[in-house]
Amino acid sequence: MYQLVIAAGAAPLLSFDELLAAEANPSSAGWSRPDLVWLQGAGCSGCSTSFLNVEQITILDFLTYFTRLLYHPNLSSTTGEQVPQILNKLAASNKAYILIMEGAIPVAMPHACMMADLPIGDWVGRLASKASICIAAGTCAASGGVSKMAGTLTGAAALDDFLRQRGIKTPLVNLPACPMHPEHLVYTLLHFIKSKSLPDLDDARRPRQFFTHSVHERCPRYPAFQARDFAQRIGEEGCLLDLGCQGPVTYNDCVAIGYCGNTNNCVRAGHPCIGCAGELFPRPRLYHTHDDPKIKTGIIVKKS
Amino acid sequence: MTATRITIDPLTRVEGHLKFETRIENGVVASARTSGMLFRGIEKALIGYDPRTALQLTQRVCGVCPYAHAEAAAMALEDAMGFRPNTNGQLLRNLIVGAYQVQDCLLHFYQLSALDFIDVTAVLEYRGADPGLTAMRDWVRSETSSQRIFPAAPFLPRYKGDFLKDKEANLSAVHNYLESFAVMASLHKMVALFGGKSPHPVAIEAGGVTTRPTINNLAQYRTLLNQVERFVHSCYREDILAVSKAFPGYFKEGRGYGNFLSFPYFPDSSGKNHLFSGGATIEGRYTALDLNAITEDHTYSYYKNKSGAGIRPLGTNRLEPLDWKEFQREEQLPDGKYSWSRAPRYGGKVMETGAAARVVNTYHSGRNPGLTRLVDQLNRDLGIGLKDYNSVLGRHLSRYITVSLLLKRLKEQVEQVQPGVLGFSEKEVPRNAKGIGITEASRGALGHWVEIDNKGLIKNYEMVVPTTWNMGPRDASGQPGAVEMMLIGARIADPANPLELARIVRSADPCVACAVH
Repeated sequence: MYQLVIAAGAAPLLSFDELLAAEANPSSAGWSRPDLVWLQGAGCSGCSTSFLNVEQITILDFLTYFTRLLYHPNLSSTTGEQVPQILNKLAASNKAYILIMEGAIPVAMPHACMMADLPIGDWVGRLASKASICIAAGTCAASGGVSKMAGTLTGAAALDDFLRQRGIKTPLVNLPACPMHPEHLVYTLLHFIKSKSLPDLDDARRPRQFFTHSVHERCPRYPAFQARDFAQRIGEEGCLLDLGCQGPVTYNDCVAIGYCGNTNNCVRAGHPCIGCAGELFPRPRLYHTHDDPKIKTGIIVKKS
Repeated sequence: MTATRITIDPLTRVEGHLKFETRIENGVVASARTSGMLFRGIEKALIGYDPRTALQLTQRVCGVCPYAHAEAAAMALEDAMGFRPNTNGQLLRNLIVGAYQVQDCLLHFYQLSALDFIDVTAVLEYRGADPGLTAMRDWVRSETSSQRIFPAAPFLPRYKGDFLKDKEANLSAVHNYLESFAVMASLHKMVALFGGKSPHPVAIEAGGVTTRPTINNLAQYRTLLNQVERFVHSCYREDILAVSKAFPGYFKEGRGYGNFLSFPYFPDSSGKNHLFSGGATIEGRYTALDLNAITEDHTYSYYKNKSGAGIRPLGTNRLEPLDWKEFQREEQLPDGKYSWSRAPRYGGKVMETGAAARVVNTYHSGRNPGLTRLVDQLNRDLGIGLKDYNSVLGRHLSRYITVSLLLKRLKEQVEQVQPGVLGFSEKEVPRNAKGIGITEASRGALGHWVEIDNKGLIKNYEMVVPTTWNMGPRDASGQPGAVEMMLIGARIADPANPLELARIVRSADPCVACAVH
């Protein structure tokens, strides 16, 4: 499926196959395994568990061959005071590393997320300022997501906003989606390893090849939309706009590459898109019935 | 008498931001404090949202067990609607949550816990031809002989301790650790087949499941289920038994109160005859479940409001979190507040939830002869009794028992699904209604309470979550929380390497994002 998507994109885009082939002979390719540090802020570890579903490479190869995972909260043997020791040592060294941030950073209530007696923002600030690049993994890190939903009190900030507040200029890549697609992360890392540069990014610092098209544009139900055939109930074949679908305002390639090795995705599962990769996720209403009296037309355009 | 303090912050290989402190006297834990250090406030932020959003948003409380929040939220809203899903709706929901629970149990054993027991460095002596083990051996060898500042991360550094000594058992467990990643990915595929995606399956809605079952997706599910079953019976079972036999002392370590709470879990297609019984075992006596006995205390939690005698679910719609100054003041007090987690109580008692509670309560209820047989068999093989399930290894063994019984039930239920028939019926969101949804998450008894206002929006929402039961702090009467009690009395060989404490806390599989929500 990836090859199809990439073939349809611009010529300089690299496919997974090309990137993986380039790694086949590391010494001649002149690359070295980058060091990674993975931190979790206000989030749920869902992007970490999603990452473990990656199929293009094995987790063993990822850990032992492509990268060096210095710290991951859910995978490291390291525990307790060994953790701040590692992070402090890394921050004090002049080694290059990549920071992967999962979850948002509670700015109004720094004590809402503490690690080793320090607000998580202190760790992120220190490690991000010396990192080669930062990757915001998932919607909470990319735009705040559920951790920043209306009604929360912690002032959760996306990584981009947080870095700007602190005046940190480290290059950043946003990989929204709740959960993050493992393919997006691995592709971004391989691209950086191979070309020492980031993939082409849009204004929201998302890799273009994943986030250029809306869910709606590539939806398998798009022909039904063109025929003005709108499902009025779950289980009907038509376009899901009348049931609250946020495909038109959500940019992600989930309809093309699916989740869990393209096993399925939300619209194929008969459910309207809930906009999980969108900057405004979560909106106050997700799925609703076609005649729900509570719906005032807003983001959802109803057919006339 | 010598007293020392051991603080572990963060405890890794659990979900989220967990800190705990112990006071050790003469090598034995005299007192303990467990702290959940992440607060998001999702529960009360839901007020004013459409009740259907709770099914998607409460899943984001936890990226490890989102399925259980989806199920509990759907059941709560269906309860308010006065509605039950049809046969296919119930079966498909079971196929999603069952596969996910199995995935979570494997994740807990291999990724989160195994490294406390198995010795990864045993691969250095590997002489065989397995590609995974060979790659791992060559990598560990080159890393440990290199001049790197963090060799063999993320497997080193680690606490020193009494790891498994049997070379073959170690190699087999390392092999299965690597293998389990693919098995867990297969289980997530099973979830996605009917849930749409995993984590955070979207298709569980109040009314059933939105995915239409077909001959094709049922066949895919069946194929993956067979693969998983092979791994569970030939690998997971063997590794659990190897660890159980190598560390028999851990059937005595990590003893808590021995009070167990569980909710009915995994019904048949009619929504009844659950595979696991709900109920409470208190001081060895099993009684039927009484949801009215549940209250939450927050005397030692970082909130401004006075806790009082414990608040019933939906008893408050606002808990004011401490501000930064107040938080720092509490941190300085010798007996100050110390966790974002509240402290649920059942008739005033501290209860343990989780796989051990599920197994012990179901055994006592006598309603599942298959479970009784399996437990009796394992007890004979391992020379343990039911009281030993209140222990580190009792909890691990109970997860295997859960997985084993779930797989059997999933195989039966996948055959009961009628291809082509939608398992979803539309139902309007009611006005001025209340609902309760209870199930078993991987970590134990999970309840969602919803109250809907006169406009059909959420008036109040409450989640009482397994890790809140297990990891909650002391209450107004000073009773330590469930995990705190598991730590008290533990013997530490080397305070610089408190591996014993990490094993005890991880055995409860804490999830802080869940506990505080």
